[in-house]
Amino acid sequence: MKYLCLVYQEEKQEPNVPRDQIEQAKKDYWAFTEDIKKSGHYIGSNGLKHTDAATTVRVRNGKLSTTDGPFAETKEQLGGYFLIEAKDLNDAIQVAARIPSAKWGSIEVRPIWG
Amino acid sequence: MRYLCLIYSDEAWWEKASEAEMQKGMAEYNAFTENIKKNGNYVGGEALQPTKTAKSVRVRNGKISTTDGPYVETKEQLGGYYLIKAKDLNDALQVASRIPGAQHGTVEVRPIMEFDQP
Repeated sequence: MKYLCLVYQEEKQEPNVPRDQIEQAKKDYWAFTEDIKKSGHYIGSNGLKHTDAATTVRVRNGKLSTTDGPFAETKEQLGGYFLIEAKDLNDAIQVAARIPSAKWGSIEVRPIWG
Repeated sequence: MRYLCLIYSDEAWWEKASEAEMQKGMAEYNAFTENIKKNGNYVGGEALQPTKTAKSVRVRNGKISTTDGPYVETKEQLGGYYLIKAKDLNDALQVASRIPGAQHGTVEVRPIMEFDQP
């Protein structure tokens, strides 16, 4: 089954994180991604630009309206995702727990339809 | 540039919808998907099962903890996404506005971060 792992972390903390820790986090992400590619869990992943680059779109009565910012203001922000293949929910949770941000942020795991 | 279009809508609608409404809703999504595949905007997309199937996972001091439910409770719920290719933000917003869910829900458009290998 396919699962989407949504990665939430506090983007406003990032400027306070020392450079070497950021470099380490990048290395950890590359190592994790390589690891789940090897184990066959990896389908795809992307990092998102910060929520200040977000635009929300609605169409009502055929009229398009856009507002700056994300859909919901939250303490931690959606910063990226991994789409994975896993045997079952438990296997998906084990993979999600190895996403580096699980140590300082939150990962939401959602099964995919179909 | 690549953009992620996150689709938020009232998931209760799909549970309450009649068979005919559901068929129509799915037909609109299929038509939209075919359309953006043809014009080269489509990169990927998935529909998510309802938030009641969600688990939130955290690791603190090496210990995994899981809680039932999504990261955040909202009036409309994340129900799926499209990953698209667009010329610029304006082009991305035009594509996003044609997602069927934009008619009754909300679509959040976020540019993708391009990383260099460390």
